[in-house]
Amino acid sequence: MRYRRSIGAIVLALALCGSCAGARAFDDNQYPDLSGQWLRTDTGTPRYDPSKPPGRGQQAPLTPEYQAILEASLADQANGGQGNWQSGARCLPPGMPATMNGYNSMEIVALPEITYILVEHDLPLHRRIYTDGRDWPREIEPTFQGYSIGRWLDTTGSGRYDVLEAETRGFKGPRSYDNSGLPLHADNQTVIRERIYFDQSDAGLLHDEITLTDHALTRPWSALKSYRRNADKYPIWREENCPGITLLTKIGNEVYFKGADGKLLPTRKDQPPPDLRYFNQTRR
Amino acid sequence: MSIRHATAATALWSALLLMICGAAAADESKYPDLKGQWRRAGGTGGLLAGGAGGLRYDESKPATLAPDLGQQPPLTPEYQAIYDANLADMLQGGQGIDPTYACVATGMPRFMIGYSPLEVVVTPEVTYILTERDHDFFRRIYTDGRGFPANMADSPQFLGYSIGRWLDEDGKGRYDTLVVETRGMKGPRVFDATGIPLHADNQTIVQERIYLDKANANLLHDDVTTIDHALTRPWVVNRTFRRVASDKPIWFNHSVCAEGNAHVGVGKEVYFLSAEGLLMPAKKDQPPPDLRYFNRAQK
Repeated sequence: MRYRRSIGAIVLALALCGSCAGARAFDDNQYPDLSGQWLRTDTGTPRYDPSKPPGRGQQAPLTPEYQAILEASLADQANGGQGNWQSGARCLPPGMPATMNGYNSMEIVALPEITYILVEHDLPLHRRIYTDGRDWPREIEPTFQGYSIGRWLDTTGSGRYDVLEAETRGFKGPRSYDNSGLPLHADNQTVIRERIYFDQSDAGLLHDEITLTDHALTRPWSALKSYRRNADKYPIWREENCPGITLLTKIGNEVYFKGADGKLLPTRKDQPPPDLRYFNQTRR
Repeated sequence: MSIRHATAATALWSALLLMICGAAAADESKYPDLKGQWRRAGGTGGLLAGGAGGLRYDESKPATLAPDLGQQPPLTPEYQAIYDANLADMLQGGQGIDPTYACVATGMPRFMIGYSPLEVVVTPEVTYILTERDHDFFRRIYTDGRGFPANMADSPQFLGYSIGRWLDEDGKGRYDTLVVETRGMKGPRVFDATGIPLHADNQTIVQERIYLDKANANLLHDDVTTIDHALTRPWVVNRTFRRVASDKPIWFNHSVCAEGNAHVGVGKEVYFLSAEGLLMPAKKDQPPPDLRYFNRAQK
């Protein structure tokens, strides 16, 4: 009888041990290894759909009203202006979805409750994708990056998460898809759905399938972005601080250059100078 | 005999089980719980227009309404003169030498004033400090055992390059203190909104000890020591942050400085932008910008 109890204790100990070790392994390996520095794989101007050329080449399914806004932005840029790209003109954050264009490097920190995406473009930015099971808050204070709720999936049944699904809402503007000024709707009711996952055959390759629903579009617009992990163990993280380096300054509705001599310069032919009516002195 | 063997085996397995589970628990609990949102425990500001601008670098000094808010920084005579000229300019309506009027990053050590709430994200290799203020949105503190890179001077940063080390000072088998050293900074940087200068050589060294209060796990301390050639001695301040009692705290909207900035710098002059977007002088008799590169007559 005592012998049977001892065997039972051993079995129980083994079972407990198994579950304990299992729990530890689960904790350690539940999430994909997203550490390191991620760099976009596409070349040329960062853009929403890397598979297509920038600007009109993106063939964005815009409504006629917003196609006209894009055309005006391109025309302004052709004339030396900044068009709709406020990130360049005013050092504003690009906001989503442009944050994921991969302008510089990207870091992903996956913790059980939140996955953080850290990006340096114009200024250091971070996205929080909440994966703690929360629902949408009753009120969302609008931001350029929006409010993201995510869910980890184990699509292969391997016992390890392999896909992060995220939905992002609650935006503010102005935002555009890329530096062509390709516009999002001014109502900022954009909904962005993402699937972030490793390539099946290349663990150094990360994909982000983005589908955008926006009132400036005639239909949802999808793009596939890919990033490759930098092999450098200690990669250099650039610190971007747009206001510290920009040569542009916005006064009213006009954007001017700041010359090397500290004087204002027009950015386009026949651009009007700033209105100086509030100054007592005569123009120097 | 076999019963004794079985009993011994049971004891052995139990011991192994404890070791394994103990190890797992240690892995999960090796770092202090720094989750959540941390807000300044003191220093509500308000002494300067805009409130947050009045946050003092050293909160241990009594606040005054003097232009330096009572800080009395330990500056060398050369840098005290720079500071005094800066304060005089501010009294005239200028921005002094505080570069943040143009939305330039505050950098270190000013970042840790904690203008907006902080989030501390601890991973074994890196501790991240996130905030939502102007153009300083996150710091990386490397705790993976690396040294300062040999080429750090090639890419100086406002926030510098931070290397940290976790310590178990209590000997309880759990880290309780993060010691950090930050170098490799660039400028211009000042300590606070009154424009207390750091040296133009940017050889600043910032040393920090970050730890939870022994008696209250919802208080986080950051002892910050700044060594800088503009100072006559290392300047030590203690910052305290209080954890917000919510598992889903509201993170303020990213405070995007450029979004509503009413200051425009042109050459050495800083002007205001009126509500209708027109340039206005910030100081009495301030000269207007030189518009010689424009063809059209001034409107």
